[in-house]
Amino acid sequence: MSVTKRPPPKYLNPYLAGFLLGLTLLASFLILGAGLGASGGLARIAAFAECAIAPAHTRASEYFGPWCDQPLRYYLLFMLVGTFLGGLTSAMFANRIEFKLERGAKAPALLRAMLAIVGGVLIGFASRLAAGCTSGQALTGGALLLTGSLVFLICIFAGGYAAAWFVRRQWND
Amino acid sequence: MIETLFSQNALSSSAAFALSLLIGVAFGFVLERAGFGSSRRLAGIFYFRDMAVLKVMFSAVITAMLGVAYLTAFGWISLDRIYLMPTAYAAQIIGGLIFGVGFVMSGWCPGTAAVGLASGRLDAFLCLCGAVVGSIVFNEVYPWVSPLQADSGVQFVYANLGVSHATFALLLTIVAVGMFWGAEYVEHRRKVATSYFNTPSLKGFGVALVVFAIGLFITGTTGTAAASHAKLVPPLSVHSTALPTDLLANVEAARDHVEPEELAEWLSGGNSDVFLVDVRSAAEFNTFHIRGAVNIALSNLESYLQPHKNRGFVVLYSNGMTHPAQARDYLYGRGFQNVYILTDGLTGFVERCLKPVSLRSSPLGPDAAARINAWRAYFLGGPQPGAQLVAPVKLAGVVLPGLVTTDWLAANYQQDGVRVIDLRPQPEYNAGHVPGALRLDVENLRGSIAGVGSMLLPVRIIGEHLSLMGIRPSDVVVLASGDRVHDATLVGMALGRVGHQRYAVLEGGFGKWIAEGRSIGRALPSIAPTEYPADASADRFTVAYKDVLQRMQGRSAVVIDVRPSDYFAGTKSDEARAGHIPGALNRPYTEDLAGTDRYTQLKPIQALLDEYGKLIPSQDTPIIVHCRTGHQASQTFFVLTHMLGYRSVSWYDGGWSEWAARPELPVESHAAATAPAARSP
Repeated sequence: MSVTKRPPPKYLNPYLAGFLLGLTLLASFLILGAGLGASGGLARIAAFAECAIAPAHTRASEYFGPWCDQPLRYYLLFMLVGTFLGGLTSAMFANRIEFKLERGAKAPALLRAMLAIVGGVLIGFASRLAAGCTSGQALTGGALLLTGSLVFLICIFAGGYAAAWFVRRQWND
Repeated sequence: MIETLFSQNALSSSAAFALSLLIGVAFGFVLERAGFGSSRRLAGIFYFRDMAVLKVMFSAVITAMLGVAYLTAFGWISLDRIYLMPTAYAAQIIGGLIFGVGFVMSGWCPGTAAVGLASGRLDAFLCLCGAVVGSIVFNEVYPWVSPLQADSGVQFVYANLGVSHATFALLLTIVAVGMFWGAEYVEHRRKVATSYFNTPSLKGFGVALVVFAIGLFITGTTGTAAASHAKLVPPLSVHSTALPTDLLANVEAARDHVEPEELAEWLSGGNSDVFLVDVRSAAEFNTFHIRGAVNIALSNLESYLQPHKNRGFVVLYSNGMTHPAQARDYLYGRGFQNVYILTDGLTGFVERCLKPVSLRSSPLGPDAAARINAWRAYFLGGPQPGAQLVAPVKLAGVVLPGLVTTDWLAANYQQDGVRVIDLRPQPEYNAGHVPGALRLDVENLRGSIAGVGSMLLPVRIIGEHLSLMGIRPSDVVVLASGDRVHDATLVGMALGRVGHQRYAVLEGGFGKWIAEGRSIGRALPSIAPTEYPADASADRFTVAYKDVLQRMQGRSAVVIDVRPSDYFAGTKSDEARAGHIPGALNRPYTEDLAGTDRYTQLKPIQALLDEYGKLIPSQDTPIIVHCRTGHQASQTFFVLTHMLGYRSVSWYDGGWSEWAARPELPVESHAAATAPAARSP
């Protein structure tokens, strides 16, 4: 029995998507009194992992130490789980779930995998340093017109464009 | 005005977790709809192939920016109800650059990677694993990089640029719309299939954004944030003569900060001009706080601090500095010129003042070491090496709410901040009382509410009583009963209801005071009525019969009936029905008492710990205490909560009197053998 697969629908108009994202952020401001965030949740997972691996050492550490009692009791971790579930729901409806390593047709899989990991490490580190990521600083702080968040936003693009040329091979077709 | 979870200090509540999850679902859904479950699409912006990131990001920023501005203008929300991230230039510039490199390498950021993972992308999974590792790396190198995070407080970009809020908002909107046009042009030239170049929908959107941005000039929003966060002018005059002038000069120079060492010196030196406020959650406060601090939620600060407005020094602290700095700025905007924040917050205080000398990385001179030992002795109440702490301050060795001894009271009753309330009948009070004590009849605090008698009165009325008695939020109220300890604890419930945590029950009551031959006065105290700022949301411990019923049926709380055992069993009764709430335990309040022939007092803590430990081993077990009218149960509540450290005790004020008279409520009675609850008479 063969199942004919529907092609995935077009993406939502980006301006409409942005508008809806803005409304989500507004709702977050009004209800939580805090904006959106994703890296905060990841940091809690990291604290949880490190506490599990080296409890005494982590407890004594300055940054994760205070979280060790209940690393996972944090609203942004719940938000991150929600983000995953929301993404899953939408991807299912849109028929866009595809198990693959996304890369250019001619790009080596190993190169793409390595860049994904190393990039991830940088992102994880940088979002702790800047106390937020694209969601928590750039988007949230940008909408609140906070100076540091807007500086962060500009620097993301500066860093990204500066490095783009060096890692372009992963998208070679 | 909307109170957010943040302003109510409730971001760690279960409700906040559930709401965060829902907001996350919306966030993830929209990101996926936008196509951000694909790293290739996300990275496209860095190669001018697919500008979706720019379009979505800036549409969202502008939408939310305009939304916040309009809601603020309409008075729906105020920025001090929202968490505002401080600006730390070094951390945000370096962090932004590294983040950008990581973004273009991995093709993801944390939020979109979660969506990518949901879309089955292996590279998203790898990126998330990397990000977890990166976070751990950060924790490991934190001591070296944390100096980069030194922040300069909450900064608004328009204030930094010296333009109005509306002007900057319009400017940013125009820039964004310009970028949209540029992005579409780039894609149009590259013949991207889904270009919105010159489409009516984009034109309409762009025009709408600009129109709304221009509208901000008309609604005249600007002020709020700009004014309260504008440059902090140093306080003009602080009415304080008690502080040594050099400290005063230090404070003036630092303008809005108090260094931990200064605070430690003031508090341990007994300076009564300092009103220290802990703005963390009650749970955190109860776990540990700086001795002498009062816990006030951010949302209540303004009303609570009214009596202290421009009088003495108000010092705010939290774990870090962000919340207090926001609160300080807000209060400053409301005319408070004497509010200071504690540099580096509680964390800094513990690190700089309380960290044992032996654990410090740099060696200390003998003077500094002695100072730290003295602070540790004072703030941690540990072993006191040579009691060189002169004149132990107001609260030496006392945890509030709690018990104080007659010795303590004898040493402290003359202090301005200590108020004794005598709860005995008028003739006895007239015949002699602790000098300066007020008298209060506990029945003044109770009345008939909605048909139920002897209910503790509402916040407003209790607040009025406190005002008439001249009680100030910073006062330590000492409750001296006759031979009924539960008179004192009932007043304790009233104080708890209005959020006055600074109270103590006098051990042994007035009986012990007189038995020990302490000094007695007969004169009326001199009292100036105050405006007591009662906290309407402080009472989280009183429960109604519906809650009791629900938790009894759900078996989610232990009910303790503190009435005498014959009333519990149902063999005696003077209420509508005899017996007790099904499943309740009986622990008569009298069993917590011990006394001599001259006075009654509570048993020693160790004895109570042993006895209750057998009854309810875990201090986290939810407990509901009740008696007939709430009076005696207040004593058990006090014992469990304030002496033994049970963390989740509720008080059913209506008590058996109400329960028995509501025929729909189940009753269990030993008199009627073992009749099941539902078939009770």
